[in-house]
Amino acid sequence: MFNNIVNVIEFQQNRNYLDLFQIVLFSTFHKIKTTEYYICTEKIRRIMYNCKSLKILCQLIVVILFLSFTNNASAAVAVPDVVATDAAGVAKAKEGMALFKANCTACHAIDKKVVGPALTGVWDRWESEDKLVAWVQNSGKLIASGDPYANKIFNEYNKSVMQSFPTLNKEQIQNILLYIKNPGVAAPVAATPAPTAGTEANTADSSNWLLWALFGFLAVLAILLWNITSKLDKVVREKAGEVVEDKTIVEKVFSKKTYKTLLFIGSILLVFNVFNGAIDLGRSQGYAPEQPIKFSHALHVGQNQIECQYCHTSVEKSKHASIPGLQICMNCHKYVKQGPKYGTEEIAKIYASQGWDPDQSKFVKAPKNFEWIKIHNLPDHVYFNHSQHVKVGGIKCQTCHGKVEEYEVMKQFAPLSMGWCINCHRQTEVKFADNKYYSVFQKYQDELKKGTKAKVTVADIGGTECQKCHY
Amino acid sequence: MSNKKYWSSLDEMNETPTYLEQASKEFNVDTTAIEENNEVEPSRRDFLKAMGFSVSVAALASACKIPVKNAIPYTFDLRKAVPEIVPGVAEYFATTYCDGSDFANLLVKTREGRPIKIEGNDESPLTLGGTNARMQASVLSLYDVTRLHKPRKNNKDADWKTIDAEISQKLDSISKSGGKIALVTGSISSVITKKAIEKFSAKYPTTTVVSYDAISQYAVRKANQISLGSPIIPSINFDKADVIVGFNTDFLGTGISNIENAKKYIANRIPTKENPKMSRHHQFQSTMTITGATADYRYPIKPSEEKQALINLLAAVGGSISGSKNLSGKDANEGIAKVAKELLSAKGKSVVISSTNDLQIQLLVNAINGTLGNYGTVIDTANTYNLKTGNDESLATLANDLKAGSYKAIILIGTNPVYNTAYSEIFKNAIKSAELSVSTADRPDESAQYCQYIAPNSHYLESWDVISPKTGFCGFVQPTISPLFDTRQTAESLASWLGDNTPIATVVQNEITSMTGANYQTAVQQGFFGNVTAGSGASANVSASIAGVSADANPAKGMEVLFYEKVAIGDGSLANNPFLQEMPDPVAKVTWDNYVCIPYAFAKEKGIDSMPSDKNVAVAKVTINGKSLELPVVVQFGQAAGTLAIALGYGREKAGKAGDLVGKNVYPFLKSSNGITSYNIDGATIEFIGKTYELGLNQTYHTLMEDNNLPGRSMKYRGEIVKETTLADYKKDEHAGNLDRKEIKEKFSHSLYDGYKPNDYKQGHHWGMVVDLNACIGCGSCVVSCSIENNVPVVGRRQVYRSQEMQWMRIDRYYNGNPDNPDVSFQPMMCQHCNNAPCENVCPVNATNHSSEGLNQMAYNRCIGTRYCANNCPYKVRRFNWLDYQGADSFGKFNDGKRSFTDTESQSYMFEDLTRMVLNPDVVTRSRGVIEKCSFCVQRIQEGKLVAKKENRTLKDGDVKTACQTACPTNAITFGDQNNKESVVAKTFENSGRNYYVLEEQHFLSAVGYQVKVRNKDEEPAEFFINKPNA
Repeated sequence: MFNNIVNVIEFQQNRNYLDLFQIVLFSTFHKIKTTEYYICTEKIRRIMYNCKSLKILCQLIVVILFLSFTNNASAAVAVPDVVATDAAGVAKAKEGMALFKANCTACHAIDKKVVGPALTGVWDRWESEDKLVAWVQNSGKLIASGDPYANKIFNEYNKSVMQSFPTLNKEQIQNILLYIKNPGVAAPVAATPAPTAGTEANTADSSNWLLWALFGFLAVLAILLWNITSKLDKVVREKAGEVVEDKTIVEKVFSKKTYKTLLFIGSILLVFNVFNGAIDLGRSQGYAPEQPIKFSHALHVGQNQIECQYCHTSVEKSKHASIPGLQICMNCHKYVKQGPKYGTEEIAKIYASQGWDPDQSKFVKAPKNFEWIKIHNLPDHVYFNHSQHVKVGGIKCQTCHGKVEEYEVMKQFAPLSMGWCINCHRQTEVKFADNKYYSVFQKYQDELKKGTKAKVTVADIGGTECQKCHY
Repeated sequence: MSNKKYWSSLDEMNETPTYLEQASKEFNVDTTAIEENNEVEPSRRDFLKAMGFSVSVAALASACKIPVKNAIPYTFDLRKAVPEIVPGVAEYFATTYCDGSDFANLLVKTREGRPIKIEGNDESPLTLGGTNARMQASVLSLYDVTRLHKPRKNNKDADWKTIDAEISQKLDSISKSGGKIALVTGSISSVITKKAIEKFSAKYPTTTVVSYDAISQYAVRKANQISLGSPIIPSINFDKADVIVGFNTDFLGTGISNIENAKKYIANRIPTKENPKMSRHHQFQSTMTITGATADYRYPIKPSEEKQALINLLAAVGGSISGSKNLSGKDANEGIAKVAKELLSAKGKSVVISSTNDLQIQLLVNAINGTLGNYGTVIDTANTYNLKTGNDESLATLANDLKAGSYKAIILIGTNPVYNTAYSEIFKNAIKSAELSVSTADRPDESAQYCQYIAPNSHYLESWDVISPKTGFCGFVQPTISPLFDTRQTAESLASWLGDNTPIATVVQNEITSMTGANYQTAVQQGFFGNVTAGSGASANVSASIAGVSADANPAKGMEVLFYEKVAIGDGSLANNPFLQEMPDPVAKVTWDNYVCIPYAFAKEKGIDSMPSDKNVAVAKVTINGKSLELPVVVQFGQAAGTLAIALGYGREKAGKAGDLVGKNVYPFLKSSNGITSYNIDGATIEFIGKTYELGLNQTYHTLMEDNNLPGRSMKYRGEIVKETTLADYKKDEHAGNLDRKEIKEKFSHSLYDGYKPNDYKQGHHWGMVVDLNACIGCGSCVVSCSIENNVPVVGRRQVYRSQEMQWMRIDRYYNGNPDNPDVSFQPMMCQHCNNAPCENVCPVNATNHSSEGLNQMAYNRCIGTRYCANNCPYKVRRFNWLDYQGADSFGKFNDGKRSFTDTESQSYMFEDLTRMVLNPDVVTRSRGVIEKCSFCVQRIQEGKLVAKKENRTLKDGDVKTACQTACPTNAITFGDQNNKESVVAKTFENSGRNYYVLEEQHFLSAVGYQVKVRNKDEEPAEFFINKPNA
């Protein structure tokens, strides 16, 4: 090996990056004796430049790799997302919905396991579209052919054979898949499609180890390059006459400076966290307690397409949307006695509370109060009125409550913080033309007519004033 | 501009050093409450402890799980009819309030099935949507924790079945053996209860029904028996009277059906530019009441001279009576002459009225009215009252019989004779020794505690009933909530003892159906049935009336004492209602006490006219007929010389947490003359015993001041605050009393800064309020209504004494003129929502600021409690939460299980779960350490706007009414949008010559316009002006 870096550099002044690698290895484990430098600064600078570029490159790749791990979802069967404006796509999805309802719903649901598996994500589970089509048209044949995934499914579902649909052609099956992926487009109620976001994180393949290895390697390389640039920097500085102490990478990592930096970053993080924590005190975004009855919005709203207002009856009349009493459940559950997931267990709780005897099909006892766990706890000093927002403002339920039609367990979607409210009030346009009440804002009406004002927001008509919500 | 001297209290009149110091301080800071509450003064260590605590609590709270809260959905039984309740939307039910004297058709606001607010029923032909303070506060009585939860036997909880069986059995055996049964009732205006009593008497013929009123009007009925041939109380159409002459009557504040009276009275009291007319009201009286304060001319007379005054008046209007004699007061003599002249020129269009419970006085009143031909026009003897039906003579007889032990059973129907009669001991012994004693009181009160059985009556908001206050008119009572406890209506109890178990609902519904036929639904929905069209009726027999008048045997001697009724507390049955206890007396401005009123001249003579402060008053020992009691002294301007006045209805011992031992009971001093209870007594002595007492007096420190450094001004100058004029001047110029406004407007038409344009609030809404000083009678209905609507806490006497009461609005009362007989002005004062608000500029955290609708907003959760705003408010309408009055603090004592603050005398009234049911769910409760104030009922504004938006229409005038506005029995307050040119507010601000703003010269640009008070006076004596008007 080389005695010192100066030799190396002189020796390799016309070499390429391979030699650079040797320098890297060397400089990592050896101290440089500064008295032995006899090389022109110009050359060092060039090498430094090369090292730095390489380091940045490595870091970039590391970041990209890291991001791609977390977001990676490669579909084995390509099923496109459909937006509401895509007429052809919507028509296809509608056809798919019709086919799905006619053929599949006896055994399958989109979001949940019924007799057969939940169909959402099915495009990721099959390695090719042809195999999926073959499976649908005749699953027995595919199993017999020895296909591993087909046999896995077959065994998983207690060797019950899926009914064959030889009449469905490839295009029809594609349409069904299109519908399953985009149920909201075909059905008019649900606002947004693409129910895939949450489920795929688990699908990240173990075969990604190679990428992980690359990631690790590049990370190490980046550190080494950082080391070498700093050493070369040292050389330059010493050339300029400074006295600089030399250290190995280990010494550097555990230096006082590092501790200080870590302490500094740590205290900033601590303050930041305490501050944020204090702001969030009492807020409970994402709060999703287990309810005494495992009511599924995904089943009732998403799959069965029941309107929100059917149960939350006063949302257009009152400040409360109202949590429905169990008597509303009885409208359907007098007849629907079994659920797809929990069978009769959860529905029996409704009957018990309502005093309903399913055998005699009549109420035999007076109803009891039922205690749900309250999810949205607005502080007492805030006045909020649902009817103002839903009936007058025309705000969709999902804007504040998220995709309820996908929630198996209801949760708090929005932070319900003042900033969140105010922000919306600043951005939301008031539907001036639709409501005669707003004729009281004569100046704005004139400006809108003249075109000097593009839109009137809630904040413009006093929507951010204290006593709109606090009294 | 008024140039008179105004004063609000004795101290101010005398300009005592304490007062001057207080006035200069502007904001009364008394932190003793906090110190006492914390027991030790907080030190630096305490501060550090608190710091450490809050940091660790914050850390813990962020680490801990969110406390699980439950949501219980509205559940109903599908086997029954499904009620149409929308959670979060108020339902209104028509019902009726009647306590035997007060009557009104009401609408009850319920939220999720809880009654939370009383509103007047605008459709009622009788009370026209008016309410009074007692009605407003009555909703809190529903949630009174002192109410019995179950029937009682020997002061132990029992059940209805047991006590019904035992009472029936005892009644049967007493009746069989010929034993007498006394059924003691108050005024019965309920058709249902009346029928139940009739049935009871039919089954048990040995029953004697005795009905009495604690504060009686029996003399009126008895006099009318002589003058008209039947014992009636006629209606008086004040709206048809041009001249009204009152003798010791308080028909606006406490008289029979006072809301009806106020509505009619005020109809003829508001002059306009087009029709500058108003009735003239003379009042002869011994103490100051709101009726006397509202009168144009007032003459102090002694109670004993009332009869002589009426004889003089009768003679002066041409009645054939002899015995005219000069009265002791010069004013009164001149007054009689003046009144007689005016009455003669308004024959048939005038009325003389007295509430004194004295047969001869009532006969004289009848004779005068008969002579003047007022029957058939102003006095309507066809439409008579079923209110105040008590009979003093039968009470006196009963007392005698009870003493003799001739009754074996006593049944008390809603009465409390041990407390509110002079026969306390007799009733107590009789109840104790009776074979059967039953009370239907809703709490173990002074009488019920001795009864074997208590069959608690339900609150009226839980009841079914038909009330007939007047002939031909009925108000329906329908329940607004299921009975909270195991209570039962009196009529149902009486029926059960007879073995009739028909539910009261069925009985009442059948009664209503028999009255209204097919219109049942509509009738119950609107809450009344029948009409009140003016009848005529017979005129009084003048000669028969005069024949009944005889000379007095014993002329009065010594000090005379008048026992009077207060606007809030009444006869004392509502004493446990803290809202009523804390409502300041309209005239004396004292809360939580009764006291002895003494005339100003007498106080001066005795040297007690300048105490250290208004609130540390002298204590006097008043001796009447050998019995004496100690009472705080209040110097009452306008009180007749040689008289004292003490309020009835205080000194309860078994009323409950709020009412017990507040003030002193003076019922034992009442005596009866010829069987009629007399409410005045002579031969009293008063002795000042050198003690002082801390009185919960509440006007003097929130007193409005002007810049007194200007030339020609003194402390008492209030020309920019209360403005008044006379009708004579108003007829000449509609700007009379308000001439300086032109100058002020001119002054502020220029700006120092060129091109500066302040927000003119021309877009959207700009809320404003009109307060008519001519209409305001000072009754305090608005104060209670505001407190209930806005969850304003009750703080207790001790806190009021410390100037820390919380009421968002107050009615300022100013005197001017002669201290022995001053003129009185009432001025409702609440946040003026100034567009140039001085409070907003000084808030360091911008917790109070202005909205685009012209509202002065207060964000409680932003407030850090510097109180700069309160210090800077020229109207002194901001209130600071010195204590956690309502359990609103996050880490307050409410949450550590103690549930009350440790202050020695203040009670924490809003800490009971049951009582908290009355809170308005649309208004937040404020925690300790924040400022609060009138919000113009912003929750109602928001609701009104939302309803308009949902109905896709513009907001109309009258869609939004504030709580003070709806409660007012005289329409003195009107709220509306200044930008709506059709609104009353906009029109009044624009067109009325009487409109002015308080302290307008300071340019606060307030949103509350006051209307100059017009007194129907001929001329004014110049001596009471600060700058005497140029002759």
